[in-house]
Amino acid sequence: MKKKNNILKIENLSVTYGPIKALRKANLEVNEGEVVALIGANGAGKTSLLKAILNIEKPNGKILFLGKDIISKSTDNIVASGICLIPEGHVIFSSMTVFENLQLGAYHNSYDFDKNLEKVFAYFPILQERSSQIAGTLSGGEQQMLSIGRGLMSNPKLIMIDEPSLGLAPKIVADIFEILSELNEEGYTILLAEQNAKKALECAHRGYVLETGRFILQGTSRELMNNQKARRVYLGGSV
Amino acid sequence: MEVFLAQLINGLALGSIYVLLVTGFNLMILVARIIQFAYPQFVVLSMYACWEVLRLTNNVFLAVFACISTSIVLNILSEPIFRRITNMKGIDINASFVASLGIAIVITDIMSHSLNYGFPIAFPTSWVEGSLARFGLIMISKGQLYALAGSIIAVLLFFYLLYRTKQGRLFRAIAENRFAARLIGIPIVKTSIFSYFIAGLLGGFIAILLSLLLGSASPWLGEFVALKILAVSIVAGLGNLRGGLVCGLCLGVTEAMAMGYLSGSWSNVVSFVIMLIIILIKPQGLFGTSIS
Repeated sequence: MKKKNNILKIENLSVTYGPIKALRKANLEVNEGEVVALIGANGAGKTSLLKAILNIEKPNGKILFLGKDIISKSTDNIVASGICLIPEGHVIFSSMTVFENLQLGAYHNSYDFDKNLEKVFAYFPILQERSSQIAGTLSGGEQQMLSIGRGLMSNPKLIMIDEPSLGLAPKIVADIFEILSELNEEGYTILLAEQNAKKALECAHRGYVLETGRFILQGTSRELMNNQKARRVYLGGSV
Repeated sequence: MEVFLAQLINGLALGSIYVLLVTGFNLMILVARIIQFAYPQFVVLSMYACWEVLRLTNNVFLAVFACISTSIVLNILSEPIFRRITNMKGIDINASFVASLGIAIVITDIMSHSLNYGFPIAFPTSWVEGSLARFGLIMISKGQLYALAGSIIAVLLFFYLLYRTKQGRLFRAIAENRFAARLIGIPIVKTSIFSYFIAGLLGGFIAILLSLLLGSASPWLGEFVALKILAVSIVAGLGNLRGGLVCGLCLGVTEAMAMGYLSGSWSNVVSFVIMLIIILIKPQGLFGTSIS
């Protein structure tokens, strides 16, 4: 297999909130074209890791994005350089229209707005139908789609997505993961944080298992699915 | 009936100034996350700048320019102070209120000690003169007309900016969900500084309208107005722009009616008692607050 380009490389990354260490000396790599899953229970440090990459939480260590250290850059600069985070719990601007939400997503990428919009509408036709509707009136699944669509409007080189299945019906979760796989086939690189290890590993090429702020396991999805410990703890032994 | 109409016009003119002040004040709450109690003081200080330039040069154009630029500079200069406070961990919006209170008192003191020897200033008659029309008791002054028309234009422009431009969309995004705004890469500090600029521009405009309406200003005008603006915005719902429009106009009309039918000195009592009752019934404000 040919060596792929490193998109994101994290070395010795720590995040602390006062006395609490949310993340301890984490090392992680995401290569171009990959889907990488971050697996772990609630509070394991997945969200802290993602927020640290965007410098929303102040991290210590090294974060290389496309070979450049971004650890001291501001959030808006990092987003402008091509990372987007689709946060958990479909965080949208609920008093604005669907279209306005997408416009905001294109803040750093307004010159090929029409092209990106077309792409987003192709993935999520429902957003086109509802584009003048107030975003708060969408259903949970539609809001998650809007959240992903808004992220895509920035034409990111790396999509980080946090708990996309949270609070959604199984049918919609399946749709969302389907779309993530499609996005990956289109060439998008994805870092996926998810409690639902089975779903995440089915979609991902590789995975990391986080436990109380530490990576305890890593490997290809197949390896992790077959790993006794991972099976017992995160996959309910039923894979 | 004539008294009623006369006072209604009075009240609408005054109320429209309150509306603009509350709008600038709410913009600061929504985007910069501060309670800018000194905002009306900045307006009054800009009136002083206007008066001073008018006195020295007798040039209306220069006076208007001085007024608006003073307001913009004051607002922008206050930004680093407020940013320092709001950036501190575990600090809520009240800290900015105390800081702005301090700024307000300093400005009042400077005006009452150093500017025009502490005496109230009066704008020359060339600046604002006479009545436009008179029907019995009803008199429409030029100042009233300017205040009303100017306010309507300013409010329309402001809402156009907010709802029809990219910059306005950023303001609304930050106001609605600061975390999400930051997450999608909106530069919070830069956008926030721009909101100070807009508040300053609006403040300068208010200073001109207010000087046309009142024809004078005193060192204590700012604090006096600031109390009303704070009260109105709380009664309407802190940070509620539409609520501010309605309640600002209502305050002006209420005051004018109290002046017309009771004694002038009772107008504050009447309006503040009404606001007290409203707050007792609806602590979140009539239109709901957007600040949690």
